[in-house]
Amino acid sequence: MATTADNFQAHADHAHDDHADHKPGFFARWFMSTNHKDIGTLYLIFAIFAGIIGGGISGIMRAELAEPGIQYLQFWAEFMGGTPDFDTALHMWNVFITAHGLIMVFFMVMPAMIGGFGNWFVPLMIGAPDMAFPRMNNISFWLTVAGFVSLLFSLFVPGGTGPGAGTGWTVYAPLSTSGSSGPAVDFAIFSLHLAGAGSILGATNFITTIFNMRAPGMTLHKMPLFVWSVLVTAFLLLLALPVLAAAITMLLTDRNFGTTFFDPSGGGDPILYQHLFWFFGHPEVYIMILPGFGMISQIVATFSRKPVFGYLGMAYAMVAIGVVGFIVWAHHMYTVGLDVNTKMYFTAATMVIAVPTGVKIFSWIATMWGGSIEFKSPMVWALGFIFLFTVGGVTGVYLANGGVDDVVHDTYFVVAHFHYVLSMGAVFSMFAGFYYWFPKMCGKMHSELLSHIHFWLFFIGVNVIFFPQHFLGWQGMPRRYPDYTEAYTFWNEISSYGYHIMAFSMIFFFVNVFYTLFAGKKVGANYWGEGATTLEWSLSSPPPFHQFSELPVIEDHHDYHDHIGDAKPAH
Amino acid sequence: MAGNVNHEYHILEPDIWPFIGSLSALTFTSGMVLFMHDMPSAHLVLGLGIAGLIATFFSWFSNIVKEAERGDHTPIVQLHMRYGMILFIASEVMFFVGWFWSWFDFSLFPSEISEVVGGTFPPAAIEAVIDPFGLPLLNTLILLCSGTTVTWAHHSLIHGDRDGLKKGLWLTIILGAVFTMIQAYEYAHAPFAFGGNTYSSAFYMATGFHGFHVLVGTIFLIVCLVRAYKGHFTPRQHFGFEAAAWYWHFVDVVWLFLFAVVYVWGGWGAATH
Amino acid sequence: MAQDAAATEQLESADPADVADVADPEAVSAGSDAYTPMAPTEGKGMPVAGGWDIQPQYSEDGEFAYGLHYGLIWVMAGISIFVLALLLYVIFRFRKGANPVPSKTSHNTLIEVIWTVVPALILLAIAIPSITLIARQYETPPKDAITIKAIGYQWYWGYAYPDNGDFEIVSNMLKEEDDPTRGDARARTDTDGPEQLAVDNRMVVPAGVPIRLQVTAADVIHSFAVPSLWFKMDGVPGRLNERIFQVDEPGVYYGQCSELCGARHGFMPIVVEALPMDQYNAWVLAQGGTIAGADEEGIEADPSLPPTQEPESAVEGAPGAGAAPVA
Ligand code: HEA
Ligand code: HEA
Ligand code: CUA
Ligand SMILES: [Cu+2]
Repeated sequence: MATTADNFQAHADHAHDDHADHKPGFFARWFMSTNHKDIGTLYLIFAIFAGIIGGGISGIMRAELAEPGIQYLQFWAEFMGGTPDFDTALHMWNVFITAHGLIMVFFMVMPAMIGGFGNWFVPLMIGAPDMAFPRMNNISFWLTVAGFVSLLFSLFVPGGTGPGAGTGWTVYAPLSTSGSSGPAVDFAIFSLHLAGAGSILGATNFITTIFNMRAPGMTLHKMPLFVWSVLVTAFLLLLALPVLAAAITMLLTDRNFGTTFFDPSGGGDPILYQHLFWFFGHPEVYIMILPGFGMISQIVATFSRKPVFGYLGMAYAMVAIGVVGFIVWAHHMYTVGLDVNTKMYFTAATMVIAVPTGVKIFSWIATMWGGSIEFKSPMVWALGFIFLFTVGGVTGVYLANGGVDDVVHDTYFVVAHFHYVLSMGAVFSMFAGFYYWFPKMCGKMHSELLSHIHFWLFFIGVNVIFFPQHFLGWQGMPRRYPDYTEAYTFWNEISSYGYHIMAFSMIFFFVNVFYTLFAGKKVGANYWGEGATTLEWSLSSPPPFHQFSELPVIEDHHDYHDHIGDAKPAH
Repeated sequence: MAGNVNHEYHILEPDIWPFIGSLSALTFTSGMVLFMHDMPSAHLVLGLGIAGLIATFFSWFSNIVKEAERGDHTPIVQLHMRYGMILFIASEVMFFVGWFWSWFDFSLFPSEISEVVGGTFPPAAIEAVIDPFGLPLLNTLILLCSGTTVTWAHHSLIHGDRDGLKKGLWLTIILGAVFTMIQAYEYAHAPFAFGGNTYSSAFYMATGFHGFHVLVGTIFLIVCLVRAYKGHFTPRQHFGFEAAAWYWHFVDVVWLFLFAVVYVWGGWGAATH
Repeated sequence: MAQDAAATEQLESADPADVADVADPEAVSAGSDAYTPMAPTEGKGMPVAGGWDIQPQYSEDGEFAYGLHYGLIWVMAGISIFVLALLLYVIFRFRKGANPVPSKTSHNTLIEVIWTVVPALILLAIAIPSITLIARQYETPPKDAITIKAIGYQWYWGYAYPDNGDFEIVSNMLKEEDDPTRGDARARTDTDGPEQLAVDNRMVVPAGVPIRLQVTAADVIHSFAVPSLWFKMDGVPGRLNERIFQVDEPGVYYGQCSELCGARHGFMPIVVEALPMDQYNAWVLAQGGTIAGADEEGIEADPSLPPTQEPESAVEGAPGAGAAPVA
């Protein structure tokens, strides 16, 4: 866009003016924010909070599954205000997995990656003073909070067999319509409406910002890969979420106003809901991983002290993943009774995505190849990501085979697959990004030792949790089960042990955060050294309240990798 | 902003409305839940939510208008708004894709086992459909017409003809209002009720959401008309008007699809009323 | 084309010795009331403690699919280990200590083409058997195959036998001896099978012949799944899903509902008992059903059955419907 450059007058010899650091008072700053960094911080705090809740619920789940039988669910049924009878106890299981899935997806990963890191670093990396729509940015955040609160409401009101929505995060009809009376499911549905509206507004904000607010000279092909990843993610959000909105609106009217979209007695079709849901749901899984890809690219290049290998291939691989991601949705529906040609098509189309993803994996390795690698905490998390995401990815290709999926669909093999790409892929990239940028955000250095301990324990923990789940799935253990037959005990027990290791590792994370905030050493603008070459490293840590009042200039001699080195004055 | 600022972006002061807006949205959705389950205080909560949302929209857009009048909307900021509006409309298109998807599913694969459907489309329970070439056709013409009047208003605006702008807008708004009234009449006299079968579910939800968009678009145009009277728009800067016009055209195009797919094709072969 | 060839194969193979004596009606009535539930074989048709692989397969499609599964394990392991090896190599070879000066290489067209094309070829190699498997699974059952219908209810299964007089078996999970929570259910014994998997009334099917299995549901979506037969199909209210279903040999095969269906989703197991055709027929008679198009005095369809729609392939009342295929 030429516009920015047209209006541009360079005054490169002035430092950031002091006015840039005037901060509003506490309430105005945190409840009325129009500042992308503050909003990013809010998102991150919110995501950590949601992560604790979602992770805590998974702890209840792993405790229950540690041995056969129903151990704790009666207690929870009573605790949540239900009766402690058998069915209510079992219903609580469904409530837990539903809340866990929804919280992790909509209120942990998405707010952390897009709302948190995206808000913080997209403007910094493209050399913009803020987002395009700062006020709308704020409502995106608060709508996410509103969605979370609505989900919390749902836990305490009747949802059919007991309190809470027990539909699974997929909210399939007719279980979610005629199968669950009571207001809980309605609260859960509105939770998705609210969070979804926030995300759609956020997506328009990111796309506009990235298209219109790049610093003079920063062409699309010079943009950092993290920005590319957020751009593609924003398009996926923009085009996928409204379809979910329509689908869950149909759920609402079926539940409350007598429509028959998914009610066979009125001619409706429960499978229609699944098509609409997965038309959103599959792009959604890439929404959760693409920003992670972006962060990993920045980190690998930084700590290898090398430009990203095959930059254009990396950028367009993400575009390809985004595009193809829209035409593979029915691989979640292989057992619903698709006809043979449809099943063959979705098998073939799904596997195609492995190609651009492979390009990314190999390009990261090629970036390291010939590099001079320093194993700082972000880098070890990134290395963990590359390996574990590959493991999760290849099990995805296994599932992509429609005929094979018949035996593992809705078993723990699927649970293992998606936790490898989420609880390891997405979460590892989040921790990588967190350790990479936390000192930039707060101005103080974390303990590398604690971060490394966190990494190793977490790495071991999640693998112990989720690797055995492949075996459970192959042996036939169905998912969404609070109880199982004796034969599944062994691996479940191990999986639950793993949870303890993982939970123990998180202590190091939280201690590290508090240590950094209260006792961390102050850091300068670029604490990672010469490998860090994007614009955020040209700013103080933390950056001024309003950065880039004078826009930086990307000169011709700055390639896609290096936006700050050897910059000549603009005139 | 003070100091050396060499960009023309719009850096905003803190604002409470986003917070109030989401609180109101939560109040509204919670009120809806209470309402749908006949729970206590439903109307109160719902009312509060709606009031809060209206207040939010009102103040938010008033602020934008004030900022525009103050000159905060530099060319680059206006470009942002263009992008924002286009992207918003794109997301709206995807929302309607969801409704059309269900329409096509129901019409192409009518259920055989459901007695009310009986393997045909329109379903057996639909004794008659609305004659597409009666009021719907009239409504089509009205919307097409309103598309031209809004363009007339735009041209007048660009050529500094305020009078033409006002006239064009008045006409567009009136046409929009007539459309809504005809739609309301049609709903009231439709030969089939809401829900109960696929046809009337998808019909009312799709056309209903379209109707809601017409309403929003009309309000948007009314705001523009008020602003036109206040002398807000200039031939070079009038994005508020353009956004309303784009939205109006979008609503228009959705209607054309509804008319062709839902009214004409969807009711093909059925008795009309 | 390939599909037709495979279909013939299927038919021929559906003719093991135990099917042969079915044509003899005497053999049937002889065993009339001889049905007692078969004791399961330890480790057959059920998960085993600490087991890590797919359960051994007892259907032809399952055996074929197992081969693909096995191949995919190698591909998955191979790719994961390859990526891990590359990572370990760069970690050691290009660590700062070993390589203080980084190169600036950022492009190499040849290598980029290789890592695009080779994965594509691997996927192509997977796609061929994968598509073949799907084609096999979708073969239409022979016209005269016995139709059995599994219906999911909250929370138990019903099995209807439309070709055998249309009686319906209701199949509930058995409770454990000391379980106070599940009222009137019968307590499980070892001949019923493992806990959590055993049911009071099993779905009895003839072994060795292709069956037309239809799956549907009455309330919410359920899924009929038997891992050792590589079979899983959702029961969707208002839909009738149909697939060829064949058990190689007599035995008891356990499965569980595999689509979230509410509170007791984990408590509606599936037990398929495959019997030689004569014993199957005996079982049918013992249930008050009819066999092999003899007479039409079967029990009327249960009016509480959910409405279902007939797929084109299910030709009602085809000549000889219900009879064992005689090749
Ligand atoms: C971050 C989230 C994420 C990501 C990135 C993926 C990535 C992929 N997923 Fe996954 N998936 C989920 C999240 C994700 N998934 C979730 C949440 C579910 C369950 C939802 C629910 O039911 O609740 C699910 C379920 C799911 C299913 C349905 C299973 C079932 O319910 O029965 C399928 C089936 O095709 C599938 C396939 C794939 C494939 C092919 C990829 C590919 O994109 C993977 C590509 C990556 C690689 C292949 C590795 C790297 C590549 C190389 C090293 C090159 C060489 C490789 C080869 C030649 C193979 N996924
Ligand atoms: C991102 C998604 C995500 C994540 C991270 C996790 C993490 C975990 N999940 Fe979950 N899970 C899902 C998404 C996720 N899950 C989904 C979608 C389902 C399906 C639900 C359904 O069936 O409907 C599911 C289902 C599911 C099941 C199956 C339940 C069943 O089918 O009956 C189990 C069982 O063990 C499980 C366990 C766990 C465990 C032990 C973790 C642990 O790894 C948890 C450890 C905690 C963390 C890793 C969070 C730490 C992060 C922070 C504290 C924030 C940090 C923030 C910054 C750095 C900014 N999950
Ligand atoms: Cu029935 Cu799950
Ligand atoms: Cu998917």
